[in-house]
Amino acid sequence: MGGNIEHRFSPYTDNGGTTLAIAGEDFCVVAGDTRQSEGYLINARYSPKVYHLKNNAVLATGGMHADGVALVKRIGQNLDWYVHKHEKQMSAPALAQMLSTILYSKRFFPYYVWNTLGGLDENGKGCVFSYDPVGNFEKQHWSCSGSAGHLIQPFLDNQIGHKHQSNVEHHLLPLDQVLKIVKDAFNGATERDIYTGDFVEIFIITKDGVTVQKHDLKKD
Amino acid sequence: MDHFPGNWGNPRSRDDTYLESNDYLPGSIAQDHPRIRAEKTMSGFSCDEYISNPSHMPRAHTQQPVVTGTSVIGIRFKGGVMLAADNLASYGSLARFRDVERLLKVGDYTVVGASGDISDLQYIQHMLVNLETKEKYLDDGHSLGPKNVFEYMSRVMYGRRTKVNPLWNSLVIAGVKNNESFLGFVDLQGTSYQSSTIATGFGGHLAIPILRKAVDQIGEENMTEEQAKKIIEDCMRVLYYRDARSLNKFQRATITASGVTITDPYSLETDWSFAEKIRGYGA
Amino acid sequence: MSLRGCLLFWVFGLRGLCSLNQFQLNLLNLLRSEYDQGVNTFSPEGRLFQVEYAIEAIKLGSTAVGIQTAHGVVLAVEKRVTSTLLEPSSIEKILEIDTHLGCAMSGLVADWRTMIDHARVEAQNHWFTYNERIKVESLTQAVCDLALRFGESADGEDAIMSRPFGVALLIGGVDEKGPQLFHADPSGTFTRFDAKAIGSGSEGAQTELQEQYHKSLTLREAELLALKVLKQVMEEKLSGANKGFRILPEAEVNELVAAM
Repeated sequence: MGGNIEHRFSPYTDNGGTTLAIAGEDFCVVAGDTRQSEGYLINARYSPKVYHLKNNAVLATGGMHADGVALVKRIGQNLDWYVHKHEKQMSAPALAQMLSTILYSKRFFPYYVWNTLGGLDENGKGCVFSYDPVGNFEKQHWSCSGSAGHLIQPFLDNQIGHKHQSNVEHHLLPLDQVLKIVKDAFNGATERDIYTGDFVEIFIITKDGVTVQKHDLKKD
Repeated sequence: MDHFPGNWGNPRSRDDTYLESNDYLPGSIAQDHPRIRAEKTMSGFSCDEYISNPSHMPRAHTQQPVVTGTSVIGIRFKGGVMLAADNLASYGSLARFRDVERLLKVGDYTVVGASGDISDLQYIQHMLVNLETKEKYLDDGHSLGPKNVFEYMSRVMYGRRTKVNPLWNSLVIAGVKNNESFLGFVDLQGTSYQSSTIATGFGGHLAIPILRKAVDQIGEENMTEEQAKKIIEDCMRVLYYRDARSLNKFQRATITASGVTITDPYSLETDWSFAEKIRGYGA
Repeated sequence: MSLRGCLLFWVFGLRGLCSLNQFQLNLLNLLRSEYDQGVNTFSPEGRLFQVEYAIEAIKLGSTAVGIQTAHGVVLAVEKRVTSTLLEPSSIEKILEIDTHLGCAMSGLVADWRTMIDHARVEAQNHWFTYNERIKVESLTQAVCDLALRFGESADGEDAIMSRPFGVALLIGGVDEKGPQLFHADPSGTFTRFDAKAIGSGSEGAQTELQEQYHKSLTLREAELLALKVLKQVMEEKLSGANKGFRILPEAEVNELVAAM
């Protein structure tokens, strides 16, 4: 290809991209940019990596796109089987545990995917779970990962968690404010990270279902 | 006559520092190899079986492409999709075969363009012909569209990469079915995406900027087939100027609601007069 | 039994001779014996005799009672203390499957262990994968999936028994749908009940439950009802020694008996 000889096959590649999720009192927001990259090439400007699952949880995948697609297909099958077996939709916390189990089952040939899962728990409260590729996971109030994860994390810590601020009241933010912060986070990340850009897709999960917004990011 | 080349002997490749007299060499039936001797004592042993069932040998996976094809490029325009790929199969830097067709028609709606290893391309062609035949025999009113072929190839390519035994190709899948046009990409790692412009290999560097600029300026929904043809040919010309593994003989596939057409191989006018002015390593 | 053995022998003899006439065929159907041979063979009337016999076998077992209330499920079994030398605590007929699930049985205890082992694995697997407690119905279904895995197995599945299970189960538990009671039999059929009796005294016990059960039973009332029903169908004298309750220790059972 292109005259370059690749000497050894690597089954892995990094397609870049940034994702985040924020839990609210009675909602959850999950977002990700839509750029798919390979080295300095932009493969596609709109290749979504955030997936609305059948149980109204939303899964954001980052890292290797092909592994993400395979993982989401497998989760989709498991969600259907669960419904057939137990006559109910899988709850977001149950899915959170299952995802960890799936990822760890490939501990020695991992899905190279950084997952962030958002949804509502049994009490209707927003919940966020973040993962590493082999299934370590943690329930959090907000989380971000991917190529600009390290750029966004302190911003969210400050804006969502009121970290490093004195004399502020700690409270959960309302949805409109969270959405503004998400857009700011992605615009900021796009400025500095070459793997983030093109569009951001924001999923909003409430008891009434899931809605999606798509916003422009810079395309350079 | 001994038909096994490995038994013919070749002093230069038999380095006794590394090889023992009973080491197995590809293509040989080493009668005195201890393993063979053991197997031979078992009933039903035959040379044919031994060759067709190489379970005694390490499993050979494709470690690198051998005979390769260079870029495939594609663009979506109003009502259709266009692909192009040249007819060259290179063996390293040697222009080995100059009449290889790398655009494959699959079913009535789809064309698959392949770059990378040519033998893997032929294997994929074999698979797709089988798939098409089976689909036709079923005669159930269903026919494979570009989306089906794309998903199929995505699963095949990802499946093989997961076995760490990849098909060493980048594929571009294009087609139109039910007035919906499709342009997608899959490679040896299973990476897949859809876009209004796609190019593999060097095309990713040289053709993509030209293709994207055209789509940004004209817009996919305003671009005519004529315009698309000109853009594609401009890209093929640039690739021929700069890609040392390319050939000025290529085919172009156009897929619209009225079907698939793949041109006979043809060439473009080129002008190398600029080469006179190049000095040193620059330009 | 000896008569049946004799008849079987006779049938084999006939088969050895030649094809059967209509009279002989009718006779065969009458005797059922042809279809007693394979455990998975349907009779011409569409019956699986081995499964039916297994269901019959339950009726020889000790009586077990289950009652569902709004607050929980009560499972009670009769322990047959056939000798004064028998140690009553060594008879186990109610076991815990998971923290929210219990199971009472009637029939062959050894068969039951296989099912309980499977049920416990199934419950733990669900918890491991989903970090939630399995539903009572799902667990019951999982146990019933074992029921028809006897004889020659289906493709790819191992048969774990050469014959049907000789056990009926009462599976009680609490999940997001509240307290529930399920009955499962050797055919793998399961049904939900408000109150159910199985085993040798089940007919009388079920009639009694039918009369006494109402939706507003408290757990305590259900415990007493279960005891009362068991007492009526038991041959032996009722005491803490021949009553075993899930959770309740012997002293508490004696206390309940006294309260009757």
